[in-house]
Amino acid sequence: MEQLEREVAIRSAATYAGISLAAALAVFIAATLKGGYADVARFGGAIWVFMLMMIVTMPVVTSWFKKRYRQRRTG
Amino acid sequence: MEQGTKEANAHQLTLPIEGMSCASCVRTVEGALDNLSGVEKATVNLAGGKVSVVYDPTRVNVAKVTQAITDLGYAIGVEEARLRVTGMTCASCVSHVETALRELEGVQNAVVNLGLETARVAYIPGLVTPGRMKRAIREAGYEAEEKAAGVEALDREKEARQREIRRQGMYLAFTLPIAMLVMLGTFRDMWILPLFVPEWLGYKWVLGLLTTPIVLGPGRQFFVNSWRGLRHGVTDMNLLYATGIGAAYLIAVINTLWPKAGFGGEGATFFESAALLTTFIVLGRWLEALTRGRTSEAIRKLMRLQPKRARILRDGHEIEIPADEVEVDDVVLVRPGEQVAVDGVVLEGYSAVDESMLTGESLPVEKKAGDQAIGGTMNKTGAFKYRATRVGQETALAQIIKLVEDAQASKAPIQKLADWVAGHFILGVHMLAALVFVFWFFAGYDLFFDPDSAFILSPYKLGEIGVFGFSLLLSVTVLVISCPCAVGLATPSAIMAGAGKAAEHGVLFKNAEAIENASKLQTIIFDKTGTLTKGEPSVTDVVTPDGGPETEDGRLSVLRLAAIAEKNSEHPLGEAIVRGAQARGLQVPDAESFNAIPGHGVEARVDGREILLGNRKLMRERDAVVAPLLPQAEALERDGKTVMFVAVGGRLAGLIAVADTLKEYSVEAIQWLHRSGVEVAMITGDNRRTAEAIARQVGIDRVLAEVLPQDKAEEVKKLQAQGLKVAMVGDGVNDAPALAQADVGMAIGSGTDVAKETGHVILIKEDLRDVVVAIEAAKATMGKVRQNLFWAFAYNTLSIPIGAGLLYPVFKLVVSPEWAAFLMAVSSITVTVNTLLMRSFVPSIRREERRQQAAQRPLVVAATASGGK
Repeated sequence: MEQLEREVAIRSAATYAGISLAAALAVFIAATLKGGYADVARFGGAIWVFMLMMIVTMPVVTSWFKKRYRQRRTG
Repeated sequence: MEQGTKEANAHQLTLPIEGMSCASCVRTVEGALDNLSGVEKATVNLAGGKVSVVYDPTRVNVAKVTQAITDLGYAIGVEEARLRVTGMTCASCVSHVETALRELEGVQNAVVNLGLETARVAYIPGLVTPGRMKRAIREAGYEAEEKAAGVEALDREKEARQREIRRQGMYLAFTLPIAMLVMLGTFRDMWILPLFVPEWLGYKWVLGLLTTPIVLGPGRQFFVNSWRGLRHGVTDMNLLYATGIGAAYLIAVINTLWPKAGFGGEGATFFESAALLTTFIVLGRWLEALTRGRTSEAIRKLMRLQPKRARILRDGHEIEIPADEVEVDDVVLVRPGEQVAVDGVVLEGYSAVDESMLTGESLPVEKKAGDQAIGGTMNKTGAFKYRATRVGQETALAQIIKLVEDAQASKAPIQKLADWVAGHFILGVHMLAALVFVFWFFAGYDLFFDPDSAFILSPYKLGEIGVFGFSLLLSVTVLVISCPCAVGLATPSAIMAGAGKAAEHGVLFKNAEAIENASKLQTIIFDKTGTLTKGEPSVTDVVTPDGGPETEDGRLSVLRLAAIAEKNSEHPLGEAIVRGAQARGLQVPDAESFNAIPGHGVEARVDGREILLGNRKLMRERDAVVAPLLPQAEALERDGKTVMFVAVGGRLAGLIAVADTLKEYSVEAIQWLHRSGVEVAMITGDNRRTAEAIARQVGIDRVLAEVLPQDKAEEVKKLQAQGLKVAMVGDGVNDAPALAQADVGMAIGSGTDVAKETGHVILIKEDLRDVVVAIEAAKATMGKVRQNLFWAFAYNTLSIPIGAGLLYPVFKLVVSPEWAAFLMAVSSITVTVNTLLMRSFVPSIRREERRQQAAQRPLVVAATASGGK
């Protein structure tokens, strides 16, 4: 049981961190491609978006994985 | 609890089952479970009412097992745990705790009340324990303990609230003066401030030094709490505060240490934002702690009524013991000015007892041998002894407290939308903050930014703030200005106040849905017998013929003779005549002889005279002429009264009419209801003529007569089918199906046994005017709910777009984070303060009563004064 719960925690952490990183990276790349942004703005913007996306995705992804885990357990 | 069995995969669980009565039930349950794929063995223990199931969790789950049992028509025994949950700050916390509890296997339902800080959890014992629930709540980042009962709970709750008030008060005392200094330092170059604000106070590093203890001191709670939540994947208001304060502080620090970093430079150090933001949030928390307790004031008042000591007689000695140690059948003594300790029946003595705290009845109620005494009420003048009949959690007061608590903790249908919004609010706002940031970062800044633009209500210019600083500022403002607390508190705070207020006036709503339904009522059906009327016949008219003794004495003489004749009768009409005579002060001696004539009446010999009492047929058979009184008899019968003729010595002496009479306030109550635009109907099993006669007296124009008790619910259904919101008012016994069918079932005159009544609303007194009180209280409560919801949604709908910079392209103004925090705090407090206005609610009938009492008082004083002379 605990093993499965840990697996859920790891999988969901990897997913929400991945989504947030992707969003942050998208901001960073877009700012770099657009040009005219200072380093602080590009990095700062990416970090801020990463933080907000972590906050948004963390509960959503975690509960989605938990639900999937429960469904799988009951067949 | 699930236990591993010898087989590696098999689990075992034990479920309580309700409704099994015989061996056939055992076979049915076992058979159904054995047929369930994945169940290896099911064994029912009939005596214990339990089933033990060995199952493979990979093929079947607990939900399927319980479903199989309930499909058979049995119920799974569900228990309720009441937990006290602390650390919740807003509606999203409610949603987190509820989700954490509902995710536990075995939890059927969980309802969390933010205001009361309680969780009511319906669970299947054996699958989950209160201990596991507490752990789940702690894992979600909150504290939980089992809820104490009564006075102990009150004390603990009060203590916790006082602690929170003290804590936030101390924080406020610390942050407010420092934040003021930071503000003065920030704006020292403006207006007349340079005259008395020293220059050094404006130095950035001084501002930083002053702000840091605010952020790391009182502000720390928001970071710690949001981190605690995030660790468990939950987000709440603390996170909004923490991101707001953290971002403002970080930008200020960066701009002080690295002015060229692109955050607006030295001209945009937001130390005052971080300091004032923290201060306003702490102010909000402090005000909330002060006001939140007041919405549950009614329950506090009720709990405070619980008596602490009782004086009882044991072995002939008078001893004083704690009230909760009184046992059933103990003889309790009550002296003038003392509180009645538990419920009971008066044995001897006479007194007047103030029951207003429980029933809303403003006048003291007389108590004499045989009367009911209610625990928690206050004895006024006399002393009496009574025998305890109900103690502890069985007393009326304990039942009332439980009902009010249940109603306060329940959720009204209107709350569903608010709950959904509040539950998704924090995430939605963070998503919006991200979008706002991206918009201003990539497009908005280039298109609209003007260095001369300023903060709303502030001379502070945005100056050279860079694209990142500007976008971050608006993004943070969105987080700070949004207020899910107002949305989350709107309905439960009003329901809490309304249910409590109604209880103060003797009206107990069993849940919030009943309050909501009662506010929308269009039709009210009253049961006749026992509800509109007293439910027992009584003498209404005594008529004597022309030429007879048509004086009061003459009529009393006829009544006396009839009463003597009926003294030994067991017929309800005969008993009514005897009661009627005694009530008029007449002596009723035994008759010299008595003979009942079944279906006709009675004959008796009184004072040597032959008395005949009965119907027309009896009079005709005995040649007594009834013609002189026939017109009056027919008129009385048209009014639904039963007429009996009295003949003395073979000559007609008079007639006596007997009928079920209206209760004291029936007419008044119906008049009030008519005035408030509610359609009123009456339902009865009586014949139409009698029913219409009563309806005429009471002023009801819609009569549903000759309806059998079992068909009353059908009549309610028919009205509901017309789209009407229907209430049924009955005495709660034979009206139970109709009470249950109605949108609102009101059980009237429940006296002390409040918990056993059917229906959604219980009117403690036998006063029909309380139907009006219930409707007015419900309307006032739902009015508050609607006002609160309107305010909460309107505030967020307006403030969030403004915070996001919607007006910036036109007005070049943005809301500063500190103003955002102030508005947010005010919004939350506004909802609570609006709810607190319910405290002044007085039903119109009570207002009228008070007005009349006030008008009578000078007359009484004058009469006493003149009497004294």
